[in-house]
Amino acid sequence: MSLLETVDVKVKFGGNVALNDVSISVEAGSVTGLIGPNGAGKTTLFNTITGLQPLTSGKIVFNGKDVTKEPPHKRTRMGLARTFQRLELFTSLSVRDNVRVAGEIRNRWSFRTTRMDVNAETDRVINLVGLADVADREVGEIPTGQARVVELARALMIQPTLLLLDEPASGQTEEETEQFGELLKDLARNDGLGICLVEHDMSLVMKVCETIHVLDFGTMISSGTADYVRNDPTVIDAYLGSPESVG
Amino acid sequence: MQTFLQYTILGLAIGGSYFIAASGLVVTYTTSGIFNFAQGAIAMLAVFTYWQFRWGWNWPAPLALLMVLGVLAPLLGAALYQVVMKNLRGTSEVTKIIVPIGVMLGFQALATWVWNPTSSTPRQFQKFFGPNAFVHFGSIKVSWHEIIAFVIAIAIAVGIRLLFVRTRSGVAMRAVVDDPELLQLNGGRPERLALISWAGGSFLAALAGILIQPMIGSAMSAGQLTLLVIDAFAAAMFGRLRSLPRTLAGALVIGLTTTYVIAYFPSKWTWSSSFRNSLPMIFLFIVLIVLPQDRLRGATVLRLRERFRMPSIRTAWIAGLVLMVVVFCLKVIMERTAVNTLTLALTFAIIALSLVLLTGFAGEINLAALSFGAIAVIVVYHFGTTGSGTAARTTLWGILLAAVVTALVGAVIALPALRLRGLYLALATMAFGVFVSRMVLTERNERDIFGLKFTIFTAGQLTIPKPKIGPFDFNSPDAFLFLCAGLFAIIGIGMVYLRHSGYGRRLAAMKDSPAASATLGMSVVRLKLSIFMMSAAIAGIGGVMMAAQIGTVNSDRFDILLSLSLMMITVVGGIGYISGALFAGIFLIAFVQMLDLTLKKFAVDYSSIEAIFLFFVSVVTVLPATIGITMGKNPSGAVSDIVAGLDQIKQSKPLVITLVGLEAAIWALAATDIITNWHFVILTMVNLFIVPVVGGKILLARAMRGVPKPVPPELIGIDRPFTFDDLAEMDRALDLEGVVVLSAETVREGATGVSA
Repeated sequence: MSLLETVDVKVKFGGNVALNDVSISVEAGSVTGLIGPNGAGKTTLFNTITGLQPLTSGKIVFNGKDVTKEPPHKRTRMGLARTFQRLELFTSLSVRDNVRVAGEIRNRWSFRTTRMDVNAETDRVINLVGLADVADREVGEIPTGQARVVELARALMIQPTLLLLDEPASGQTEEETEQFGELLKDLARNDGLGICLVEHDMSLVMKVCETIHVLDFGTMISSGTADYVRNDPTVIDAYLGSPESVG
Repeated sequence: MQTFLQYTILGLAIGGSYFIAASGLVVTYTTSGIFNFAQGAIAMLAVFTYWQFRWGWNWPAPLALLMVLGVLAPLLGAALYQVVMKNLRGTSEVTKIIVPIGVMLGFQALATWVWNPTSSTPRQFQKFFGPNAFVHFGSIKVSWHEIIAFVIAIAIAVGIRLLFVRTRSGVAMRAVVDDPELLQLNGGRPERLALISWAGGSFLAALAGILIQPMIGSAMSAGQLTLLVIDAFAAAMFGRLRSLPRTLAGALVIGLTTTYVIAYFPSKWTWSSSFRNSLPMIFLFIVLIVLPQDRLRGATVLRLRERFRMPSIRTAWIAGLVLMVVVFCLKVIMERTAVNTLTLALTFAIIALSLVLLTGFAGEINLAALSFGAIAVIVVYHFGTTGSGTAARTTLWGILLAAVVTALVGAVIALPALRLRGLYLALATMAFGVFVSRMVLTERNERDIFGLKFTIFTAGQLTIPKPKIGPFDFNSPDAFLFLCAGLFAIIGIGMVYLRHSGYGRRLAAMKDSPAASATLGMSVVRLKLSIFMMSAAIAGIGGVMMAAQIGTVNSDRFDILLSLSLMMITVVGGIGYISGALFAGIFLIAFVQMLDLTLKKFAVDYSSIEAIFLFFVSVVTVLPATIGITMGKNPSGAVSDIVAGLDQIKQSKPLVITLVGLEAAIWALAATDIITNWHFVILTMVNLFIVPVVGGKILLARAMRGVPKPVPPELIGIDRPFTFDDLAEMDRALDLEGVVVLSAETVREGATGVSA
């Protein structure tokens, strides 16, 4: 059984079909890529999975349970975390407090026995993702690339089983992206997290993802291993118009 | 049957007028995204201007109408948009709410200035074709005015509908709000369309005002007229600020039910007139509650740019001590009346703290702070005093009970807040405030409530004695001054503690991004409920202190317009800061009063140019509103600027010493009666404003020496390579946070990656 499955998810905005019967799955302990040109519906799909966007039809199954009707915070409490493409950081708090408050929120809803020592966990996560140098700065003052890492740290604080990352590497330097890729692999292999990654940086996607789903105009056009997707003519066509135009 | 028809026709006419005002709201909101709180004030100005032309100067009706509706009203609307509202695009929601409120308060003050409400001759405002122009349909007679009102309403409904659906500019108008940039790219001109719609909206407001004034049959009053059109808000909400047919239906329902209440409620129900007046607000509240829920969004009432730095707990304690010392020093030199003014200012500052907690910390909005104060005062009056005559005192238990009751009422108001945000929440709280004013504070008859004989607002005024807490009697003005200052300091320090706690961080999270909070598993119900209750309790305590300072309060003290002013000035002072609340209290009460008194004193002293000073006295009444209107420019508030300026100065010992030394000298002069209080105030201002500015310049000049000049932006990348800080800076400057920025390498790699 997959950790997450979307079953024929359809979302319409008025007459526009943003998602047309999209079915993807994410496995525990692996990184799944979700790619597609701008406007393909990747973020909309994330919003439906987290409950921020109601579905027109279809269903979302998480941990074997149909969560289609659950509000966002209930889904999170089942172990679902995400980051935002358009940063949604808590701008009145410092970097450390952004991470810490996530733990504090988690302690409010988790069972008494699984409560964490928020301060210790905050330090651990900040070191894990490499934010120690900027931990005490205002979150609005740090570069976008690092701000995205703060989003990741915040999501990790709730100790999820599934992590949805929306373009986490954009704005990062090549070196940062390299480390970031390693971190994702670690989280999946060692901690058993299921990760779904939306990313435009193809080298990162190809390097870390075991499975890749490709969306175009709200429809899933391809799905498979990195090698398969990379050579799928439909994908090349959707992404680049035609392979020749790249030169 | 005859009564029924008669009242139905009146109801349709009044409902029609509501619709006309509401349609103006819909049109301006659709095209500019700004809810025009000043709609009622525009209607009010139009009524007074029309009266001036028609009966003041005896112009013929068509000419007066042409002048008001054809020329002045559209001009006013266009000017409002061009000068004020245009700048609000892209500002925070709270600014978008506060600025139109500033306009509304400004118009209000202006009307009171021009048309003196205490003038000896009452202003008569008649129906079209005079009071005796009736048409008879069988046994019922209908005034021409009512027929005109209804027919115009229907014509406007059809007209606007056709405009929106059939004409090019109408379609463009609807597109403006959806995506102004896209419209611009397609050759539309959103600015011009918004300008036209504001002119139109203002015209509709004026028309509604002129139609409705003679139908309500009471004397012309600026405040009443302004609020009357607020009833149209309910109609506009029926249509969710979009649908005109539903707005029309809502307006007619409100018009009809309010007239039926008058027609059919038994005359022994003394509350039916209050009920009729508050009915639109009840509608508004219900409509807001049953509106479909907003989707969770990222951007909130306070936006990214408006960042508030919270002081450390240590700073808060020091600031609290400084406040007490300053209050003591002022007390020593001030006259009795000035002490009273200062105390009153502090009580308002306490009420403003409730706004800082709610809006500044939690991102929620409450436009009716003083209504909570009113409820607390009623509780204390009935249950919280002991003794009588001069020995009467408010008890600690009374104050605590009042705080508990207001907190519970706060919880009820939080119900819509659980679902609504921003504008809708603002309107819901305003509906509550107007409801309290119209329904609760007008309760002067004895009622039998659950077997308890009870008069809520006895004889239109309540006397609240000074408190006595344990062995401490705060009856003397000085003791009460210190109580209020101490209370402000303690609540303020408590709020700083709160902000530094996990609870405070969760509030900040909820405020900054509801979407992210939800995806971290936060359920906002208890958080919102608790913050509303806490804020309401603080407002209640502040209200009781305010009433205790004044002694005997009438319902005017809790007017919704005063609540709005307080909210506006707190935003100006900095809604995220404790000092913002202090600024609001001092400015709204002490500063305005001081200016007023000073100018009046000058007017007496220099009687040859008295008129000039009296003119400025009137200017002062418009001043708070004017300051509110300028908010669009500086969203973080005035105090933060001053504090930021002071931060520099704190680095320099000599400057601090100069500042404090000079102030001490001025104070000593005043304490020994060498200079008067007036001079003290003026010299203090000079000291506080001039020394930092001059000193800051000197400091800056010194600091700049030896610092390498920064590389001009256009040469970054040429003189030195781009750093990530540069990129982040550009992102911020362009407001591009979150937009995908692909470096050249990743693009190239990505492309080859896929095509390989």
